[in-house]
Formats: sequence, structure tokens, C-alpha cells
Amino acid sequence: MRLVVRRWKEGWRAPRYDVFEVEADPSESVLDLVERVSLKLDPTLTFEHACHHGVCGACGMVVNGVERLTCVTRVGDVARNGVILVEPLHGFKVVSDLVVDKSRMFSRYPDDTRTLERVAAQVEKLWDCVECGICYSACPVACSYPSYLGPSVLAWAFHRAVEEGRVPAPVASRSGVWSCHAAFDCSEKCPVNFQPGEKIMRLRRLLLRGAVEVV
Amino acid sequence: MGLGEALRSWLRVRGRSAEHVSFAVRRLAGMVLALYLVVHMVDISTLLMGEHVYSAFLQVFASPIGLVFDVVLWAFLVLHGALGLYSALVEAGLLLERRKVLLAAAWAAALLLLVVGIVVILYVMG
Repeated sequence: MRLVVRRWKEGWRAPRYDVFEVEADPSESVLDLVERVSLKLDPTLTFEHACHHGVCGACGMVVNGVERLTCVTRVGDVARNGVILVEPLHGFKVVSDLVVDKSRMFSRYPDDTRTLERVAAQVEKLWDCVECGICYSACPVACSYPSYLGPSVLAWAFHRAVEEGRVPAPVASRSGVWSCHAAFDCSEKCPVNFQPGEKIMRLRRLLLRGAVEVV
Repeated sequence: MGLGEALRSWLRVRGRSAEHVSFAVRRLAGMVLALYLVVHMVDISTLLMGEHVYSAFLQVFASPIGLVFDVVLWAFLVLHGALGLYSALVEAGLLLERRKVLLAAAWAAALLLLVVGIVVILYVMG
């Protein structure tokens, strides 16, 4: 198997693509291959991962052009002619190699904390959302309009609107639901079928009908 | 974030869904139609230079190249219109459960109108 990885580290003038030849079983995950390269071939390769079973949302990457959680993506399902190209998510600043800075997403939740802290504070988890950032990477608006709140945050706002009957003003602004242009790749690429695109449109409908208060 | 990066994210095709490709086609068609509006304004403005100038300019569009231009313009128009109608419905929160069927219908309508338009342009107007 040939694993091609987009590399970039601070101080480099431009990214480059490194090619690694690795033994692979079709039933292995793409993350397994990335880890093997890191452990055996190039310890400087940086990437994020944690749970290895599709819950933490840390290992989102672009695999052969498609955003995926690499820990639950089998090599045999995505390899093309024995080649897998792995790139960092779009829409976020690359920190190093496959690691991106997701603070543009995390900082826009109502309390500036991570999921586990919110759960501990008895503030709801994002329902089924694993906060992987794949929806931002897939969204053409999020990738071209930095002020856009983004699919997962707006889908969260939809749930809040249904439960509480109100939404924060930024959600109903140009940087909120009105910037979505129905590309729906957020929903198509979401690994947990959270359907952020549909939720954004349903929130719009609530706003158009005056069914929720903007505070 | 520059214009190039924005356009690349809009017009990305590799690994994208039919919805995203439709979004890209709709946007691209919209930009072409906006540019055509400028051309059309120039076209109309030739009236200020006299009827003969305007008539001579119109002859350009009666040529085979003009007909090809009309076909391409019609293609962009029907794609932008049909996909725009799909977009208007789903962006208002309507028919979200059936959005894939709606999108397929929009493409089918666009292709049907395209064929009808080509026949009219080539065999009636041409």
C-alpha cells in the first residue's frame, strides 16, 4: 500500500507530499496506517487521535479527497489502485502535518469549553455531534468565509431553539444561518449523520415564521 | 483568506457530493450570467450610436458562433434557474426530507429545458 501524506510544518515555505510504502490489510483503518508510519518510518509525522472508535472526533482527515474519521475508515474501502492520499481538514489553520487548529469551531459554542467539560458542567453534549470539524472542512462557505459560525454550531443552535424558543443574535445574522447556501456536504460527510445542513434550514424556517426569539 | 482559496472551496469537485457539485454549478452559472448582464448592457448601449450600429452588432449573434454563444448562455440560464429553484425551496426549510429527489428533479428539468432550448435556437432561430 502506498500512503501519500500532505506535510507542512511551521517555517516551511510550502507543503510537500511524502510517499510511504506500508504493509496493510484491507480491514485495517486508515488511522492504523498513519500510526504505523509514525511509529516505524517517520516519527516526525504529526496527527491527532484518541478513542479509535469514532467517538472523540479527533482523527478527522481528508482521505482521497473525502473528509472522514480515519479510525473508522477501512483501508479497503478507500484505497484507489493501492494508493491512499491523506490531507489535513480544510477550513482550519494547519498546525503541523495532519493537525489543524479547530478553535474557530470550539470557540463559538456558548461556553468556551470542550465537550467533556460541558458535560461535567451539566450543559448538554452536542447531542450526536462528535465535534470532529468534518462539516467545516466539507462546507464551501465555512472554507471561504472565516466569520461563518459553521454547520455544527448552527445545528446546536437549532436544538437549543427548539427546546428554549430563542437563539443568540449571531445565529440569526449574516455570519449565522443566512450564510448557508445549501451545498449540504456537511450532512453528506458527517460521520454520525447529525444532518447539520437540514438543521440549519429548519432553524431558518423557525426564524422566518417568527417561532423563535432572537436575543 | 483570498479569492483563490474561496473559489477553490466553492468549485471543488473531487470527493464532493451531488449537492456540492450542484452548488458549484449554480454559483458558476450565476457569475457567468452576471458577466453576461454587463455584455448585454454594452450591447444595448450601441443603440446610442444609431440603429445601424445596433443592427450590425446583432448580426454577430446570428452567426454560427453567435448560436453557440446562445446555447451556452441558455445552458447556464436553465442550470442557474432550476438549481436556484431547488435551492430556494430547501433554503426555506421546505421538502428537506425529499431534497435528493428534488435535486434530481431540478437536474432533469434543467436538462429537458436545455434540449428544448437547443432545438429552438438551432432549428427555429438558426
